[in-house]
Amino acid sequence: MSHVVIDLKASLKSFWRDKSTIFWTLAFPCVLILLFGAIFSQSSMRYDLYVQNQDLADGKATYWSNNFMTILNSTNAFNIQMVGATINATDYALANRLISLLVIPSGFNTSANTALDTHGATTANITFVYDQSTSSALIVQSIVMSIVNNLNFELSNGVEYLRVQGLTIAPERFGFIDFFIPGVIGMTAMTTSIFTSVSISARYKQNGIFHKLATTPLKRHEWILSRTIYNVLISYLGMAVMMLMGIAIFGMKMTLDAVSLLMVAMASLMFTGLGMIIARFVKDPDGADAAANVITFPMMFLSGTFFQLSQMPQFLQTIARVLPLTYVSEGLRAAMIFGQTQQAIINTALITVLGIASIVVGSLITKWEED
Amino acid sequence: MSNDVAIEVRELTKRYGELVAVNGISFTVNRGEIFAFLGPNGAGKTTTVEILECLRKPTSGKAYVLGFDIGKEQREIKKRTGVLPQDFYTYERLTVKETIQYYAGMFDAHPDVDELISLVDLEDKKDVLFRNLSGGLKQRLGIAVALVNDPELVFLDEPSSGLDPKARHGVWHLIDGLHKKGRTVFLTTHYMEEAEILADRVGIIHNGRIVALDSPESLISEHGTRNLLILKKTSPKAVLNIEKLGIKAKYDGTTGDVTVHLNHAVAVSEILHALSSTDVPFGELQLKRSSLEDVFLNLTGVSLGEEESGI
Repeated sequence: MSHVVIDLKASLKSFWRDKSTIFWTLAFPCVLILLFGAIFSQSSMRYDLYVQNQDLADGKATYWSNNFMTILNSTNAFNIQMVGATINATDYALANRLISLLVIPSGFNTSANTALDTHGATTANITFVYDQSTSSALIVQSIVMSIVNNLNFELSNGVEYLRVQGLTIAPERFGFIDFFIPGVIGMTAMTTSIFTSVSISARYKQNGIFHKLATTPLKRHEWILSRTIYNVLISYLGMAVMMLMGIAIFGMKMTLDAVSLLMVAMASLMFTGLGMIIARFVKDPDGADAAANVITFPMMFLSGTFFQLSQMPQFLQTIARVLPLTYVSEGLRAAMIFGQTQQAIINTALITVLGIASIVVGSLITKWEED
Repeated sequence: MSNDVAIEVRELTKRYGELVAVNGISFTVNRGEIFAFLGPNGAGKTTTVEILECLRKPTSGKAYVLGFDIGKEQREIKKRTGVLPQDFYTYERLTVKETIQYYAGMFDAHPDVDELISLVDLEDKKDVLFRNLSGGLKQRLGIAVALVNDPELVFLDEPSSGLDPKARHGVWHLIDGLHKKGRTVFLTTHYMEEAEILADRVGIIHNGRIVALDSPESLISEHGTRNLLILKKTSPKAVLNIEKLGIKAKYDGTTGDVTVHLNHAVAVSEILHALSSTDVPFGELQLKRSSLEDVFLNLTGVSLGEEESGI
């Protein structure tokens, strides 16, 4: 065991002295988070707005509900899609992965007339069902609000006749950055572990470090154990930095529980093993790095790190389902953000099985010396 | 195996498919001696030494290192030997001192690290990262690392390969120091000078076989050409004067040089006396010693520098 500790200390010391590794492991993900956080908080596109008009008389829109629809249309901010009046709006939004749905409730016409008659003593309400995790839902909401405010102003110099009530379909605190940070934590565990493992396995063979180690009493499994623990520790370090950043800059609320810690460790284990497997088959270090890039790059983009899977075309979603990083990101989100413990445990169990299998195969096929 | 024997090798063979890297070699290395394997790259030196270090398995044959079987007692061997691999390399971002401490830890050994550092003369470099050391200093660190477990036997694989002459002499000095402290040193080299200066006994290896094994002096007297006396830019008259002494001499018309093969019976002074008494002028006098280079050439038909294939 002392060999493991000595090797681990040496690795950590080397990590601390390697500024480029520190950049890619810690600073780069933070830059990504800041950039994406900024990009996704402003956008100038037309949004889909699903509208359900429940306020019908004889199957036709009532005066005020029709009026309101006309105003929404005239803003040109939305592609308006109508939803059947009798459907449960929240269920429909969830089932169809809608980011937002505007409900004009039954009785809206009457309430609007009452509001006008009483000069705003009562209000007519519209319900805005939305997924707060997506920044575009927040944008849609703000546009709807401004339309309503404008309407109020025109009707009565600002006295509130119409009111938009928010109804979220995801937990209150869930925003884009909440979605993004667990994804980047998973991604960093992947890149750190794969690249460290590939670069060590291929490079140490080429430059003769394996050769020298093989002449000492250090056992191969002790060395693999040390390097795996190292990868897990570095992944944890990345996780800590990103969580601190999320909390300090974006005011996030995240849960750090045993499941998410286990998930990061097992993801790191899985990708360490995968790196060893790559290095075994591509012996030239540069080739091994390229192979690691070929594997990690698509995985980064297809596993729902940057975008929600539901926003991707169906065939890409199918591909995402076979990529392990998808389950890492989903599991981390479930554990850290949604509080979906069951989902988190299922994903973590899957990654644990894959992680152990991968590290066992990787260890068995890694040789220090050729025959 | 007697207590005086550090390494015993019997009929050792290593094949890679069709290629026979080591072809049924047998030899012993005595305790306390510097034993050198001399041969060109690809002769089978490194393969043999790596089999003895328990890094490769032989195809057939037996070998015992410090009395332990290389097939069964690898751990015992690794604990008691020190290895300087060819082109020693280690973690780039550890300092000299940390590197020595790291490898000491791997052997569960507690050497006096500062003493090791001063032994290889790296006191002023002890806090320098490995990546910032020059080739010669890396190699010296490699030797210090090979000594962390106070080994009875040290394997040095091409210890001065790629070093400039000054660095090479520094390494030789170190190896000589190990010898003086009574350690057994197994050296591989393709520099004949290195083998000649350092080794008590030299095994000349060619195409996986040992073609001769003895002390450098015996090898030279047995297989070397005789020493040569060369008179530069002289006249054919010199040949006549020398042949009067009953010694054969040869005149080269194009260079104007006269070459005399010396044997033990002839003193150089006699020749010089004969030349000076008759006033034969010569530009320069050169005495050329026979070396292991000649021994290698005589035994294999090729010169040491010619064969450059890698295994």
